[in-house]
Amino acid sequence: MNIQFKKGVLEICVLSVLARKDCYGYELVNEISKRIDISEGTIYPLLHRLKDEGHVTTYLQESAGGAPRKYYRLTESGRKEEHEQKEEWMRFCASVNALLEGKNNAAE
Amino acid sequence: MLQNEQEFVRILQNRLEGTLSPEELNDIISDYTEHFRIGKTEGRSEEDLFRSLGSPEDIAREIRATHLVKKAEDVRSCRNILHAVLATLGLGLFNLVFVLIPFILLVLLLFVIFVVGIAFMVCGPVAGIFALLQLAGIPVFAIWLSPAAGIFFSTGITTFGLLLVIGNYFLARFFYHIGIRYLKWNIGVITGTERLA
Repeated sequence: MNIQFKKGVLEICVLSVLARKDCYGYELVNEISKRIDISEGTIYPLLHRLKDEGHVTTYLQESAGGAPRKYYRLTESGRKEEHEQKEEWMRFCASVNALLEGKNNAAE
Repeated sequence: MLQNEQEFVRILQNRLEGTLSPEELNDIISDYTEHFRIGKTEGRSEEDLFRSLGSPEDIAREIRATHLVKKAEDVRSCRNILHAVLATLGLGLFNLVFVLIPFILLVLLLFVIFVVGIAFMVCGPVAGIFALLQLAGIPVFAIWLSPAAGIFFSTGITTFGLLLVIGNYFLARFFYHIGIRYLKWNIGVITGTERLA
């Protein structure tokens, strides 16, 4: 995937994974990096920004094998944000795909 | 250079100490130490984890810029916006053109309007004094026809200068607001993309 696209879509990817389930950092990073080739460390600053903006909260939960892990969870505003950004992304992709495939139905 | 957890944490700490509060710094560091801890239990080496995280210097730069922009948004001051702009500049060469140049031009524009406004505000009353002296029959340099015209001219010039300075203040506030939004967008979308490769 082209590098210019990545950073901009990282946020929607993180929101989207968290919309399905609460994740600890390492788990979230893995979910994303197995599909998109990124520097894994950039996810954490993004999570902190989302936390500052009130879109995610954190809580500690014991893990089976040792120290507690920090889980990230979407807040109500985070869910709204995820929904809006997803809609927007889908519309955008549909338009770009239509253009790339040379369909000429935008004016219809 | 060593590529282990200790080195990663040390670099983040070095670069962020003094900018972030100890609590914020610990919060960030704890994310990375947890990342290393879980990664190691899954059988990955510290070196491997270090490499896939990416450069800790770049990560620190981004955290620092985000933090300083937030601070400039919360507490409006020349100092804070300057720090935010400087921190954002460090994110990539791209920003020399797309942050530094617009910033310098805006600061110049605001400065020029301010100086012109102040100049009018000083000249106005001086012209007023001249007009009064002229009214009292003392000969002075005057470009106007009568003392009354002089008073009118003086009031006009002073008011115009005052309006410029007030307008300049609101213009500065507007640019500040737009600037913060632009810097946030810049950090979130544009800069640092090269290191994602």
